[in-house]
Order: sequence, then structure tokens, then C-alpha cells
Amino acid sequence: MQKKLYITPIFLALFSIAIILISLQLDISPEMIVGDSMQARSFPIFLMAINLILISVLFLQFFKNYPEKIELEIFTTWFSMFLFLLFYFLTITTDMFIGIAVCMFLMGYTWGEKRLWVNLCNAVITPGLIFLLFDSVLKIRFPRGLLTNIYYG
Amino acid sequence: MVELSAMASVFTDPYLIALIFATTILGVIIGVLPGLGATTGAAILLPFTLTMEPVQAIAVLSTIYVSATFAGSITAILINTPGTSASAATTFDGYPLAQKGEAGRALGVAVVSSTIGGVFSIIVLCIAAPLLARVAYEFRPPEYFALTVFGLSMLASISAGGAVKNLIGGVFGVWLSTIGAERVTNVERFMFGNYELYEGLSFVPVFIGLFAISELLVQSKTVNKIIETVALKAVKLPTKEDYKKIWKTILRSCGIGTFIGILPAEGATVASMIGYSEAKRWSKNPEEFGKGSVEGIAGAEAANNAATGGAMVPTMVLGIPGSGTTAIILVGLMVHGLRPGAYLFTEQVDTVYQIFGSMLLANFMFMAMGLYAAKLFARVSLIPRPTLWPIVFALSVIGAYAIQQSTLDIWIALIFGVIGFFARRHGFAVAPIAVGLILGEMVETNLQNSLKMFDGQWWMILTQPLAAFFLVLAFLGLCGPYIYGMITKQNK
Repeated sequence: MQKKLYITPIFLALFSIAIILISLQLDISPEMIVGDSMQARSFPIFLMAINLILISVLFLQFFKNYPEKIELEIFTTWFSMFLFLLFYFLTITTDMFIGIAVCMFLMGYTWGEKRLWVNLCNAVITPGLIFLLFDSVLKIRFPRGLLTNIYYG
Repeated sequence: MVELSAMASVFTDPYLIALIFATTILGVIIGVLPGLGATTGAAILLPFTLTMEPVQAIAVLSTIYVSATFAGSITAILINTPGTSASAATTFDGYPLAQKGEAGRALGVAVVSSTIGGVFSIIVLCIAAPLLARVAYEFRPPEYFALTVFGLSMLASISAGGAVKNLIGGVFGVWLSTIGAERVTNVERFMFGNYELYEGLSFVPVFIGLFAISELLVQSKTVNKIIETVALKAVKLPTKEDYKKIWKTILRSCGIGTFIGILPAEGATVASMIGYSEAKRWSKNPEEFGKGSVEGIAGAEAANNAATGGAMVPTMVLGIPGSGTTAIILVGLMVHGLRPGAYLFTEQVDTVYQIFGSMLLANFMFMAMGLYAAKLFARVSLIPRPTLWPIVFALSVIGAYAIQQSTLDIWIALIFGVIGFFARRHGFAVAPIAVGLILGEMVETNLQNSLKMFDGQWWMILTQPLAAFFLVLAFLGLCGPYIYGMITKQNK
């Protein structure tokens, strides 16, 4: 289990190296434009170099004082993240408000509210009220979908 | 004189008074709901201020800031769960005092100390901000570059996370600011063909993700937590005896809180912890701390509310956020076309002092609510999480969409929610990422301009006295504790 904790700095180091490699692929601007300033790639590379130094210090700290074990996520956390994906899918295929309502309903249910009518009311009334507020007061148009098409005509 | 009349105009504008009253209620509700602090609340509410006038919009955000910071103490005292991280120190003595049947007294001390702290810091804000603005007029790119580096170095001492982890978060935040087209050369950086990112990452969806959605995922782990409440009959104002005990503590914490608030990137949480420990250090009865000491409550509460006004000083004058919530207020200023910085104090002096006046009014309003409606607000904290957090989800995704009416912003908010959650799980605080994102553009632009000024000779920055001063401060802030530790080790 303890070995798993090293994943964090290793992941961060790999991320920093990846950013450096991507930065090296960025276009080089002519001297006339850049002048005495720096190229667009220089600043991200500089930042990631600092990050690599900080990650090395973090590694050293891990050797000296090993952090406490991190508990694994529970079902509701993973399911909530899955709901984000479901929301994405429903938004692009049906309607953003259908996505919100379905996710709210399922989130409420898996988080422990077993009364279906309470979840249903929450999932229907809340997005409805927010929609009306944003549409009528803030004049914000929402993306087209099954429901918004009916409303906008 | 102009300043005073601008401040006073807030107290004669019925619409603004009604707005601040309504927002104070909302702020107190946000503050008492565990997990929903001032930062999360401000992030969610920012899109709702889009159609408001700049003064009204910033008044809403700053009222949320001061009232939610105070309200965290209600649940800290009654259910031993701080509504905000800034109230964590209040639980040490607030809850034990409540358990003794003196919940009303504990809340009374918290309300009075918070109000004094808040009002004191706004007075300091009114005096210090214009003075600092005058100094800031002299700043050129090297000074601004050094100042932002100093601001970033201060991330090391944010309470949550370790120094190194906070700095990594800050650097990550600065890197995020490089996404999009580079301003001088127009070279596209890290866009991966997505032209909606040409102008860079929008702050609001990133903040909604980092603060609101990541908190939702954190709360998903505590769905079965049982909350125990302490009965509250009525809130009592402190007695003469209490005042005798706590007045010195309140004054000391006012100073500590305001000073810590002014430091870039520090906030109410650090202030309350230091305020509490100093109250204990100077107390005649330190043994009472942890068992229901009114001095402990006063020390923590005066300091955390004093930090709110203090944190507005660097935010308004230098464009450097003093805390996570002021980072959102800073974005609010930008969204409403106000340019934070020294020029704000000459170009829009009325607006600035109306914002200060709104904060002052909010302090008096939460005092009234704390004294007369704390019992009612405490009940709000018992709203079941399975009902509350789906609502937060809906508000977050719609809020993320509303700013630019772009679905990409929703996905950005959700992605940063997941990033923020895993960062927090591994001991990284999310506030440094937010502060880094805001300061990133300032750092790069001022570094570029400094290099142009000095014909590419970067070391010339060190020859500028003020710039050198800030860089030395940054160095001492980062390495000072280690050097001091090594010296004391050698001496032993």
C-alpha cells in the first residue's frame, strides 16, 4: 500500500516532463517579434523545471517522513464521478437539463435519500427554477436540446 | 470627503441595502452548511451577478465573504462542525462551552468578536488601501514581477497542505495560465486544436470546479456522518465580566487577523489559528483553553473576520488575491470591467468606497442575524446532504456555462472538480492552484516587459530596490524556516 503513495510524485514528474516535451514542439517566433523578451516556450519550460525541483524535494520528504496511508474512495465518490460522464453523454445527446435532472436524481438516491418523490422533486424543481431565473432575469440562452428546443421554439 | 460620501451612499440606497440584507442571509446559510464555505459560495454565486452593476456585484460577493466567514462559527459551536475552515479554531472552545449549557453565551462572544474584527479591518482597509495605492503607482514591470513572485512564495505558508505541495500547486496554477495564445507572439500553447481556448482558460469554470465540484466529491465520502446538536435557548450578549476577559484578546486578534489578511495568499483560516494560539499564549488562564474558554472563541473569531478586510487590501490595490475567496472577488472585479490596481483608486474611487461601505454594512447585518436568528440558521445545517449537494451540482454546472455561454466551460469545471478532488485527497490544497492561475499572467507579462526594459538582462531586476526587496522577502519566506532550523541545529 505504501508504495502506491509514490505514485503522486512520479505522476507529477511525468506530467512535468511531458509538458517540457510539448513545449519544445512549440513554434519559435522570429527575433524581430520577440526582441529581448523570451520565446513562448521558455516560460512553461521554466515553470516545469521549478516543478521538477519541488517534486524532488517532495520525494526527499517522503523518505524522511512517510505520509499517512490514503483510504480508497468509496462507492458514492466513484459513482458521483461516473455521473459527470453520464451528464456529458446526456447533454450532447439529449438536453443539458435532462442531464442535470437525471444526475441530480441518481446522486440524491446513491447518497442516501431513498424517498423517490423527494429526489424527483429536487431533480425537477431545482433545474427548472434555475433555468427560469437565468432565462428571464439574466437573459442567458442555454444550448439547444430536446427541452430547450420546445421552449425556444 | 468624496470617499466618506461614497461610503455613506450605501446606507441610503434602499436597493443596495435590500441586496446586502438578502445576501447576508444567503451568506450565513452558506456559512452554516458544512462544506459550503465563503469560497465555494462566492464561486457558485459569481455567475448570478453578471447583470448587476459593478458595485452591486462586488457587494454581493464581499457580503458572502464576510457573512459566511462569521457564520461558520454557528455550527462550530452548536454541532462541533466548522461551517468553514476559518472557524475550525472556534470548535476548540465553542463546542465545550455549548456542552456546558452555555451555547448562547458562546455564540454571543463569537458574534461580538466577529463584528469588532470585521469593522476594525474595514477601517484599516479604508486607511491602508489608498496609501498602498500611492506606493503602487511607482511600480513598473520589475516591481510587479517581484511582487507576484513574493505573492506566490507566500503560498508555501497556507495552512492546508505542506509548503512544497502548495508551491507545486501554485506552479501548476501558473502553468494553467499559459494555456491559449501567447500574448506577444500569438504562439498557441497547449490548446491541442481547441480554438475556444485561444483566450486562455476562463477563471470562473476553473474556480467552480476547484472549489465547488471538488468539495461535492469530498462530501460524497461523508454521506453517512451523524450530526449531534446542542440545544440553544437564546443568544446572550457577553456580560461585563466577559468583556473584561476578552477585550485585550479581541484587540490583539484584530491586529493579527488584519495583518495576516493583508499578506498575499494568506487568509482567515491561518489568521484564526494564530489568533487562537496567541490568545492562549497571553491568557492568564491558559488551562481553560479547550474546555470552553471565552477568550479562545474571541481570539479565533475576531482574527478570522479581521482577515476579511485585510485580504481585500492586496486584492484591490495590487490585483494580488489575499485569499481563495478574494481570488474570486478579483475575478468578479475583472468580469465587471474594473481593473484591480492602483488606478482603481483614482479612476473609480466612488466604486471602491461603495464596496468598502457594503462590507461595513454586511458586518452590522450579520451581527443582527447572529444575535436574533442563530437558532434558525443552525437548523439549516441539518438539511440532508443527499438533498443539498445535488443542488450544488446543478448550480455549479449552470454557473460554469453562464459566464461565456460555452459548454466547454462545463467540462472544464467538471475536469477541474476531479483534479481538485484528487489533489485534496493527496494533501494538495486547491487555493494555490487558483491563486497561481490568477497571478500567472501577471508574472509572465511583467517578466517579459522587464526583460525588454533591460535588453534581456534578467539580473538587472535585482538592481531595482523595491523589486530586490520583494525578491529577498520571497527568498526569506521560502528558505527562512529551513535556514533558521539549520542554524539552531548547529548551535545545539
